[in-house]
Amino acid sequence: MNNGKIVVGLDAGHITTKALIMSGREILGYRAVPTGFDVVAAAETALNHVVETIGISRRELAGIVSTGIFRDVVKVPALNVTMTVPEYVADAKGAFFLNKSSRTVIDIGGNIHKAMHYDQNGNLLDVIQNDKCADGLGIFYTRMAKAIGLSEQEMSELALKSTRDVSIAIQCALSAESEAIDLMCQGVDSADVADAISKFMSERVAAMCTYMPLTKEIVVAGGLAKSPALVKHLSALIKQDVSVLNLPEYVGAIGAAISYGESQI
Amino acid sequence: MDFVPILGVNRKDGYWKMSEYASINNKLDWTRAKMIAAGVDSGAVSSKAVILLDGQPYAWSHVTTRTPKESALRAINAALAQTDLKLEKIHTIVATGRGRTQVPFARQAVSEIACGAAGAVRIWGPSVRTVLDAGGQSCKAIHCTEKGRATDFLWNDKCAAGIGRSMESFADLVKKEVSEIGNISLQSDKFPKLSDFCPVYAQSEALDLIRSKIPVEQLIAAYHYAMAKRISTLVARSGVKEDFVIIGGLAKNPGITDRVESILKVNRLAPKPDWDPALTPALGAALFADSFSRRQQSDTTYGARMSGIQSC
Amino acid sequence: MTKKGSGAILDRFRQITEKSHDYAKSLKGKGQLLAGYMCTHVPEEILYAAGIVPVRILSSHVSQAMTRSYIHETYCSFSHDCAYQGLQHNYDYLDLIATSSSCIHMSEAFNVWVRFAGFQQKSFLIPYPHIIQTKPAGDFLVASFGEFKQFVEKLAKKPVTDDDLERAIKVYNHNRRLLKRLWEFLRRDQPPVTGPEVATATLASQVMDKQECNEMLEQLIQSLEAEPGKAPSGVRLMVTGGACDDLGIFDLMEHLNYSASLIFIDSCTAARYFWFEVPEDRPDKLKALIEGYLGRIPCPAKDNVPGTGEKKRFRFIQQFIEDFKPDGVVFLYQRFCSPQPMDIVALKPILQKLGIPSTELELDTTLPITQFGTQLEALIEIITRVAP
Repeated sequence: MNNGKIVVGLDAGHITTKALIMSGREILGYRAVPTGFDVVAAAETALNHVVETIGISRRELAGIVSTGIFRDVVKVPALNVTMTVPEYVADAKGAFFLNKSSRTVIDIGGNIHKAMHYDQNGNLLDVIQNDKCADGLGIFYTRMAKAIGLSEQEMSELALKSTRDVSIAIQCALSAESEAIDLMCQGVDSADVADAISKFMSERVAAMCTYMPLTKEIVVAGGLAKSPALVKHLSALIKQDVSVLNLPEYVGAIGAAISYGESQI
Repeated sequence: MDFVPILGVNRKDGYWKMSEYASINNKLDWTRAKMIAAGVDSGAVSSKAVILLDGQPYAWSHVTTRTPKESALRAINAALAQTDLKLEKIHTIVATGRGRTQVPFARQAVSEIACGAAGAVRIWGPSVRTVLDAGGQSCKAIHCTEKGRATDFLWNDKCAAGIGRSMESFADLVKKEVSEIGNISLQSDKFPKLSDFCPVYAQSEALDLIRSKIPVEQLIAAYHYAMAKRISTLVARSGVKEDFVIIGGLAKNPGITDRVESILKVNRLAPKPDWDPALTPALGAALFADSFSRRQQSDTTYGARMSGIQSC
Repeated sequence: MTKKGSGAILDRFRQITEKSHDYAKSLKGKGQLLAGYMCTHVPEEILYAAGIVPVRILSSHVSQAMTRSYIHETYCSFSHDCAYQGLQHNYDYLDLIATSSSCIHMSEAFNVWVRFAGFQQKSFLIPYPHIIQTKPAGDFLVASFGEFKQFVEKLAKKPVTDDDLERAIKVYNHNRRLLKRLWEFLRRDQPPVTGPEVATATLASQVMDKQECNEMLEQLIQSLEAEPGKAPSGVRLMVTGGACDDLGIFDLMEHLNYSASLIFIDSCTAARYFWFEVPEDRPDKLKALIEGYLGRIPCPAKDNVPGTGEKKRFRFIQQFIEDFKPDGVVFLYQRFCSPQPMDIVALKPILQKLGIPSTELELDTTLPITQFGTQLEALIEIITRVAP
């Protein structure tokens, strides 16, 4: 792996950029910042935050491995990016690192969701990604939380308090939003609306999962994995138990960090 | 008249919250008014209230919607907070907007189509024939007579839902104020093309443009153009007859309004300096409330009529 | 006041639409063969003549996304739902499914059943021309319906004679006439029945054995003739558009904040289903069927007079407007449907000339009640000329 060197896994995603520092198998620190429109600036911010928090200087870093959709964009002189790893490879590695008995990871991110299938060494075997019509689930979730007047975490907790099964159309985030707002205007309880929103997202993710056989054990990663209602519905739809990885948002960054020292793919 | 921000922009939530405000015309005295009427517009993204004294705008407010019931109350209370007028003293309140059935203190509900038309003609005058209500959740093209009576409308199809709200989350993504992005978008004439049919596709494509390292101003212009095109398609399908006005939250975004005008090749009547176009349906609702009150006073058989609908 | 005799029959119709699987299975329990159909251009009489009861496949209104792996995202939710039900094996009790090539969305749903839901050996796609107002269309269908008949005979393990066909035609025509009479009640000044109730009975007829349906309709009509009517309240609304099996929308129209009555529905789940007859007592039964089916009010996917681009359906719609006198028209179509909205482009100016306001409701799996309610109430306000 990294022979005890201090390395950075940098996951530059559509919506958030994650920096995570590891030495050996130990995770020293991590930080996620919104990518905004300037992914290099976001990477700098995240990285600086982590090095400050753990009390080291950037010179002590052996190198940075970048992943995520913008992994090439962050290869600037200021950031010492020594190699890049495609995000699905990093996700598989990271998931395997966090859970050695896992063989499938479903990563539900800010704009894209994907699923990776890997072998008993964490090597990628297969990957699928969502249809374009199902883009933007994370953004949608943020939007809906604000619409109800809650934080994302509060909305996740609220969804679990639902007592009534309500449906919304699931074609895409536009349908779902239209109908969720309609439910609110009908006076339907916010908890039931929050749960309907979670069900919509789980339907889209589950639909993607039909393209690839899911091998046990199945783990869930990405920002949206932090919604227990979503995970619960997803598990019911794919008819399998799933567990949420620790540090679900950082799975890609972990996978990148542990790739340090390997040859560039 | 000034727009006084009573709640301000909460920067900690990102560029998300629209400014909430309330305003009042202190030249009027409610204790001398014969007729006090109010309209409440319970919209998907924001709730607005307008209070009229003998048909003149007296107090108004604009707050973010959380749940319709709670936000309608907050809107009317924000308007009232500037005076010592109490809710009970308002003779008639009419609710409009998507959440109008959730406003318990309103006596009547009238659609935002009729209210948008009535409010628009009141503000811009009898030459108005087409009103584009570009709101947070839905867009409607409304046709009306010189008296402000709606004669036709086209509601957005689902593929054009939530354009207003998508502007807010887009502003968040590019870390700008939603009130600024319109002007920023007008700084670029050349910009990449994004899907002008589907906001979900446009948003995704915009995110991918981060890779191209184009200046953020161009990206903002690209997204505005795509959304303006989408809205224009809707209006064109309904047909535009001059004079044309734009109301709703997006009316305050020149990046949208300017482009809608140039795509449709028709100029809107300029917004009035003393009037927030987003308040137009609430004003229309208040006008209905005013008229219901007056008819009730002069018509003893009013109660026997069903639904209180009067012909014009 | 006791429930009117008609009330009990209407309740039974409603129950059949809500529990169509239970009804179908009860027929199966009596040894009946069943065929599902996905498009009303299927010549049901051929099935009925072979002793098979045709039942229309309707949507379950379940919000699900798994069919996106099978058919395209941007196909209507009706087609997705039908595909879903096949994959869920909700209709495994059917002995056969049949459809005519109509619109691509429903054709793909049909393909899902054939390829993935186990209906490969028990399915038939009837090639059906799109440009139906021509002689070649009729000639084409002779072969097409002929092959379908052969397939049905093989499945039923017995020949379908001319007498069988004539009997079936008469039963179906009787059904059509009864349904027409039911809808004609709404032309009265004081109809004894409402639009939503008639819509319910019509939808039920699509999933019932026609003979049983006819008996119920006869009783219903008899009851209604004897019952006092009530003038429809408020504005008169007519619906026109595509398949809509969600009776909730029709109920909504009559339960708005303003008074309105639903007085006619032009859709393939309503008037277009039965507003025609197959000529009886003709020597060539297949040709009679072809003449009848080609003479139907066309679905927009099939309505095109070559050379003129004229639409036959519009003549019917204008006739309905004359006969049923709506104050406003509601266009109903599925999100992502192509043919229906294309017709609207030409229909709206016709309505505008007649001075009839309209609005468009886009159907999906679920009903956005406040949005549709707002659109309908706005339409009523326009009709009643509401202004402050």
